Amino acid sequence: MENLGALLQGFSVALTPYHLGLMVVGVLLGILVGVLPGLGAPNGVSLLLPLTFTMNPVAAIILLTSMYWGALFGGSTTSILFNIPGEPSSVATTFDGYPLAQKGRATEALSFAFLSAGFGALVGVVIITLLSGWVQRFALKFSSPEFFAVYFLAFCSFVGLGGAPVMKTIVSIGIGFALAAIGMDSVSGSLRLTFGLDELIAGVSFLVAVIGLFGIGELILTIEEGLHLKGIEAKVRVRDVFRAMAEMPRHWATLVRSALVGVWMGITPGGPTAASFMSYGLAKRFSRFRSAFGTGEPDGIIAPETADHSAGTAAMLPMLALGIPGSATAAVMLGGLMIWGLNPGPMLFVERPDFVWGLIASMYLGNVLAVVLVLATVPLFASILRIPFAIIGPAIVVVCFIGAYTVGSRPFDLWLALLFGVLGYVFKKLSYPIAPLILAMVIGDKAEDAFRQSLIMSKGSMAIFWSNPLVTTLMLLAIALLAWPMLAGLLRRRA
Amino acid sequence: MISRRSAELGMATVTAVFGGLVAYGATEFGVGWSPSGPEPGTFPFYMGCVIVLASLGNAATALAGRLRGEAPFITAGQARSIARFVLPILAFVPLALVLGLYLATALYMAGVMIWQGRYPVWHALLVSLGLPLALYLLLERGFQVNLLKGPLEAALGL
Repeated sequence: MENLGALLQGFSVALTPYHLGLMVVGVLLGILVGVLPGLGAPNGVSLLLPLTFTMNPVAAIILLTSMYWGALFGGSTTSILFNIPGEPSSVATTFDGYPLAQKGRATEALSFAFLSAGFGALVGVVIITLLSGWVQRFALKFSSPEFFAVYFLAFCSFVGLGGAPVMKTIVSIGIGFALAAIGMDSVSGSLRLTFGLDELIAGVSFLVAVIGLFGIGELILTIEEGLHLKGIEAKVRVRDVFRAMAEMPRHWATLVRSALVGVWMGITPGGPTAASFMSYGLAKRFSRFRSAFGTGEPDGIIAPETADHSAGTAAMLPMLALGIPGSATAAVMLGGLMIWGLNPGPMLFVERPDFVWGLIASMYLGNVLAVVLVLATVPLFASILRIPFAIIGPAIVVVCFIGAYTVGSRPFDLWLALLFGVLGYVFKKLSYPIAPLILAMVIGDKAEDAFRQSLIMSKGSMAIFWSNPLVTTLMLLAIALLAWPMLAGLLRRRA
Repeated sequence: MISRRSAELGMATVTAVFGGLVAYGATEFGVGWSPSGPEPGTFPFYMGCVIVLASLGNAATALAGRLRGEAPFITAGQARSIARFVLPILAFVPLALVLGLYLATALYMAGVMIWQGRYPVWHALLVSLGLPLALYLLLERGFQVNLLKGPLEAALGL
């Protein structure tokens, strides 16, 4: 009940004309970056973040989260109309979305996607509303060893549940931590790993890394695959929207199952992409029309979309309450929180309830707004994709580099963005996961500080990570996740 | 053409060298225990070691030949289209550092549109002048964010 009261307060923060205006702008910008190849939620948010440095944190987070919702919706639009996933997390939507659109039922396909996405997002926010008070009270019991254990758990779940090759995930995490360590050490003040280069004293910004890895890297990949736009007529027929709406309740089982998968994968950092694939797989397995999957089965659109969005929203819970982002985009926002001078973690609920609950309230409003806006603007954004790549490609490149420069007004960052772009391309091609690298860059310093403070508390004894039931449970869970891929391999070989 | 196997080995080498560099760089700050807790180099040192070990694991997987039959990492045709895209960017970055981001943007857009898109010159001029102008109005006027400028802006007194 106390959460409900806090939520109402949050609505009074979020429901101002200024904030509503920011939501509209954010959602529209988000749809734009979601639709454009190469730009997605993580780097869209990274590009916008430097422009929010001077805004107040509540307005800034509303703008950025609205952009996130918009990007998730925009990614589905291109999946369905052009068979090009605008976001990695909407790849699974192409499997049935594009075939259904090809049959001349594009409006229905889009409506299924947006409505189920809206449903998934709402489930995610409701879960956040219900759990945040509890998670926060739980997290207030934490001191350094527990925090380190939770960070450790987050990275182990990437290794265990991320689906990428184990050793490659570990390399990716390690690189992220190493990059985070470059520059001024927050504890001792020494300048680490700069190798005498003045450019490295300020460190390597995770925003530049995101812009390069996701933005430029993704563009190079698009080029290599050859961009074929076989677009489908993008007219939205109102009658078809209502027909899809009327059909939605029939898919309740898929909706509920997918939302739960999404919430779970969002809170444990599995991320929206893994959630959408897992949910698609489950929907296919439980469906009576299994053979119709891949030919335009509505369940095949509803499942990944619901999971994608509920994971996207649920990822905000660990970000706010524990300071651990559940997705790459949430990691960027977490970095934003720190730049705005906020301290993510349980104390945030105590110190800045207006911020936390204003954000949660804006998630309800923003997602409803996004469903309406995205349906209304489909023809507009679809026409953007018809601009030839010789124009739109270089324009996106320019936006990425300008974004990299605005992060810290450092010319060196242009080279870094290029380097990260090439790295991002190779990473993608060789299936090295990128999200763990970003996560490690963002929370690297915090994880390291927690580790060092724990060891100072225990005078160097590692036993502190096993010193009470809470931290022991967290560590055991983490080790179990770390060992999971090996165990699963052994079990499979037995069978 | 580059095979998947050589690409995997190449990448494992790059990450291993990076990890080694990190571990080596960390030793400068001490990697042991001091009266005030773990020395600053400790954490990066072990991270560097973890990267090296995991890279060796990746190299071993590639060498074990489990990747036989995989599609090549990149074909000649793909490499050509990537080069067409990346080479202009390689020119754009130094240009931006010398001439500023606005002028470099105009030159880069015009260049790509005329030589690769085969657009008429007036068409390319329209876009390549319009984009920097729009960016200028949005960033410098709208958000008071200053971009890297060069001699042209200085001459114009911007």
